[in-house]
Amino acid sequence: MNKTDNQIKKTGLGAKASKRLGNTVIYIILSVITVIWLFPFFGILLESFRVERPDQVNYLIPKDFGFDNYIKLYKETDFFKWFINTGIMGICTAIFQTLFILMMSYALSRLRFKGRKFLMNFMLVLGMFPGFLTMILIYKVFYELGLTMEMAPVGLIIVYCASSAMGYYVSKGFFDTIPKSLDEAARVDGATRFQVFYKVIMPLSKPIIIYTILMGFMAPWGDFMLASYLIHENSAGMNVAVGMYKWVSKTNLNTHYTMFCAAGVLVAIPVTIVFLCLQKYYVEGVTGGAVKG
Amino acid sequence: MAQVKLTNVKKIYGKDTVAVDEFNLEIADKEFIVFVGPSGCGKSTTLRMIAGLEEISGGTIEIDGVVVNDLQPRDRNIAMVFQNYALYPHLTVFENMAFSLRLKKVPNDIVYEKVTQAAEILGITEYLTRKPRALSGGQRQRVAIGRAMVRDSKVFLMDEPLSNLDAKLRNQMRAEIILLREKIDTTFIYVTHDQTEAMTLGDRIVIMKDGFIQQVGTPTEVFDMPINVFVAEFIGAPKMNIFKTNLICENGKYFVTPYGAKIEVTGKKAELLKEKGIGSKDIILGVRPEHFVLSNANDPKAIPCKIVVNEMMGSELHIHGIEENGDKIIVRIPTITLDDDQRKALTNGSTIYVTFESKVMHFFDADTERNLLY
Amino acid sequence: MTRLTDLEYLKLNKFQALMYKLKLFFFAIPAWFAKLGKGILNFFKNCGLAIKNEIVDIITTFTKGNWAVKLSFLIFGFGNIYYGQILRGLFFFLFEVIFIGYMIVPSGGLHWIGKCNFFKTGETIGTVQGSMKYDPILDTQYWVAGDDSVKVLLYGLLSVVFIIAFIYTWRLQVKQCRICMNITASGKKVRSGKDDMKSLLDDQFHKTLLSLPIAGILLFTVLPIIYMVLIAFTSYDAKHDGYSNLFSWVGLEHFNELFNFGVGGLGLAFGEILSWTLMWSFFATFTNYFLGMFVAIMINKKGIKLKKFWRTVLVMTIAIPQFVSLLYVARLFDATGILGKLLLELNLIPQSMIDANNLSLWSDPTSARILLVIINVWIGIPYMMLMATGILMNIPDDLYESAKIDGASVWQQYMKITLPYMLFVTGPYLLTSFVNNLNNFNVIYLLTNGNPINTQIGTAGGVSVGSTDLLITWLYKMTLNSGDSLYYMASIVGILVFLVVAILSLIVYNVIPSTKNEEDFK
Repeated sequence: MNKTDNQIKKTGLGAKASKRLGNTVIYIILSVITVIWLFPFFGILLESFRVERPDQVNYLIPKDFGFDNYIKLYKETDFFKWFINTGIMGICTAIFQTLFILMMSYALSRLRFKGRKFLMNFMLVLGMFPGFLTMILIYKVFYELGLTMEMAPVGLIIVYCASSAMGYYVSKGFFDTIPKSLDEAARVDGATRFQVFYKVIMPLSKPIIIYTILMGFMAPWGDFMLASYLIHENSAGMNVAVGMYKWVSKTNLNTHYTMFCAAGVLVAIPVTIVFLCLQKYYVEGVTGGAVKG
Repeated sequence: MAQVKLTNVKKIYGKDTVAVDEFNLEIADKEFIVFVGPSGCGKSTTLRMIAGLEEISGGTIEIDGVVVNDLQPRDRNIAMVFQNYALYPHLTVFENMAFSLRLKKVPNDIVYEKVTQAAEILGITEYLTRKPRALSGGQRQRVAIGRAMVRDSKVFLMDEPLSNLDAKLRNQMRAEIILLREKIDTTFIYVTHDQTEAMTLGDRIVIMKDGFIQQVGTPTEVFDMPINVFVAEFIGAPKMNIFKTNLICENGKYFVTPYGAKIEVTGKKAELLKEKGIGSKDIILGVRPEHFVLSNANDPKAIPCKIVVNEMMGSELHIHGIEENGDKIIVRIPTITLDDDQRKALTNGSTIYVTFESKVMHFFDADTERNLLY
Repeated sequence: MTRLTDLEYLKLNKFQALMYKLKLFFFAIPAWFAKLGKGILNFFKNCGLAIKNEIVDIITTFTKGNWAVKLSFLIFGFGNIYYGQILRGLFFFLFEVIFIGYMIVPSGGLHWIGKCNFFKTGETIGTVQGSMKYDPILDTQYWVAGDDSVKVLLYGLLSVVFIIAFIYTWRLQVKQCRICMNITASGKKVRSGKDDMKSLLDDQFHKTLLSLPIAGILLFTVLPIIYMVLIAFTSYDAKHDGYSNLFSWVGLEHFNELFNFGVGGLGLAFGEILSWTLMWSFFATFTNYFLGMFVAIMINKKGIKLKKFWRTVLVMTIAIPQFVSLLYVARLFDATGILGKLLLELNLIPQSMIDANNLSLWSDPTSARILLVIINVWIGIPYMMLMATGILMNIPDDLYESAKIDGASVWQQYMKITLPYMLFVTGPYLLTSFVNNLNNFNVIYLLTNGNPINTQIGTAGGVSVGSTDLLITWLYKMTLNSGDSLYYMASIVGILVFLVVAILSLIVYNVIPSTKNEEDFK
């Protein structure tokens, strides 16, 4: 009896100590992770203020600090043109993409109609084609319509938005979680399906609406593939990704490296601000989408 | 305030899953009718077809003489209370209740009057500005009822409104619904799986199984004269005891022989059997637990049974016993008929002798399970 | 093979059970294909049946219909107007007028379809070749424009689509006409235009919601994909760009390239790139998955403080546009970058690179590939961490409590509760993320641009193939970066990519449980 008592006591003490040890290990790992994850940001930030030379160096902290790179961006490059292009694209995409996705996902989630299953399967299969091959034709058509080169932002907005409804999954997953009986109660109460949509479901869908807007706004800031297709080296129509990409090519790297970092900081600012403000909704969207598949 | 008439209503899901079939029922104006049955019997489906939330696969539904098959729910002038309340989470209690009136663009002062009036009847006036999530289950249920009340609708549908509440609150709300009914004065259709609710609330009860109506009748009718074994077992708690036995007709006298006991059928039941010209045959005999009386070993009419579980309910004892063959018998004995010694003798493992009179017997055909006297 | 009963299965030990399950899995494969074949067969059978039914229905409509119905076989919408649906009727009629007008005018639909020479191998698309002409007066050469094959094919395709739409509309209005007749015969009123408009907000609300998004998808995804598939059967490339040189139908000729496994052969290149793409996708998905889950578990552990801080640090990486961080990180590992130099000084660069005198991790295929996966972890962990956090919080605490009481260690708790739960819930996510990684253009293109060059393959599809090229970056280079722009090759590879993704998805959907029974873990 005594023996087992002792044993329990022993392991009890041991558990406490090992817990403390475990937590310490976790704190160390998390700290290392934090350093690794934040390193690029501070790296970019520091490089953007380096004035002594514009290429890559083997030290982290600049010898001379200054805003030269930012001023150069303004004076010598089209960066702010690209920046505005991308901003406009972001806002327009956010609006139209959200509308399309909401319409599609609402219909698929809460309305029952002939061909609903077919439509879903059809979009699933469609999504398996490498989407950007559609650009072969779209480029040609847009070229004829004058929506490439300096007008590429307009063309890109259309490209981003037109088929965006195919990304309905996350938002359908959200709608699926709203109890069906709410619709039914409203319909018995005298609402048409349209009234159910905007009086009952939309007010409840704030998180997913904001999530969709956020995704729409962020997409053009990171898109390189589709944008480069329509822009074709025309500086006036570039978005930030295509514009800045050439600064880090082998030939330009030595003269444009710090400028690239400065531009990177400027690009990161609006997106980060919007993102951090709406982080809560983003997290809800990501987790909800995963759970529902 | 309206009659509802269902003629040959049918619901088929997919290709061949029949949910409801051959549903014929006329509901009178201001009647309180209850659909009751085990889950999956089609009672909710029927209600939802009346509401217009499910398409009707066949037959017609009329409200006040108008065929409503193809009408949208909002054109049927019905109100409905849902099992999970279905309150709009983003609206206050007031706006929840006013929702239907707002859709009809009713002037604000009338909305105010109607909602406050309903809230007063339900005792939720103080919560009118709250959101549903700040309410308890019982309060939410009241809001849901209130939302249906302000409609002045022709038919008031309730889909298991009490099943999400705990037992105590359920009893209380049940009583309130009885009171409410006098105030609202309209046609009620109420769906439940709980036979107690059905018995206490309904003017008439519709008992369903596997998509078919089994029996329609007042609570007394379905209790006294269940049409078949299913209804007999479903109505009443604890459920009716069922014995497979023989009916013996000797010289114009009828006997039943459960577990070797020989009990003569006398009085009205015997007359009825004679009237129907029923001879000796295998039957299913049904006796409700509360209709047993204690007897002793010497009584030829007594059935011996060993006590397995003895539940003391306060006003009565529920004794679960097994007969020698291993069949289960449930006996309900009012405590008031037993003195202390007798009660103490009813321990697990001891044997008691029970019997019953002929007026409490129910005879069912052994093959069709239908009531022989119905 | 014999199936065991549940009780027999329970008797097996762990190893036997595993073998049994594996056996079940492999024995089920023929059944899938049988099912698939059956499905396809059924599909065609149903199509045949549907067409038969339609034809029978059309004939009965004609024989049983009154004169108004019969007339609407010729004049669109006549029946609708006759029965009082004036708005609909006019709409149908207008459609017919526009269609016929478009088809018969010179340079209308029939003209384009004719020019397309559909399915005539060897024929050009478009009939008039543009050419240089000499102008004796100005003494210059000038360009006389001919057909543009790209446009001809597009207009031809659109015209075909228009014809299909025409047939569908014809069928639709005949059917409606008959329904109207039946309704009127039974003494009821047909729906008026006003009812139609109203129902668009009520029982036909889905039409209102879906019309715009579906139109977008049809125009900008379906049509271009059909076009792309057609291109695979043509000779469209930079030399035959359709304008200066018409391109033509070549049938399956270019598909033969796929069986060329020699140096520079498409078969070899496709095989190599596909195997790296699959490898990449596998590692990228699962490193992210498990490491992200690991980080989430650490942050969520009871007793760890500053939870919000750790999370925000990681989430910051999502906020900053990927191309900025990717391009920056890529340069860090360059020979001139800080980390690249550091590794060089610490002699951590692989010997092979030093031999080749290429002093960066990016210049050796193996190290470049490993580095890609590592950097992708840096990108991907935050997403996975967020998702895992959400799911972990959904696992009921009492599961862990009961496991602890049953004597499970931390590791056992993870293996028996956390992991099965996660895998179950995130099954579909794993599939989508695998497919997304197959097409992860940004990470590869921005980090390595597909380099270093794969000397074994050389040039395939008109571009020199890199060791880290995915199918998608290869396609991109094929159509954009190369001088040859072998569009037909890109189309063929695109079709192959589709097949690969489709087959993978099919298998995975048959294996993972959560696509079938959603309620299992609740």
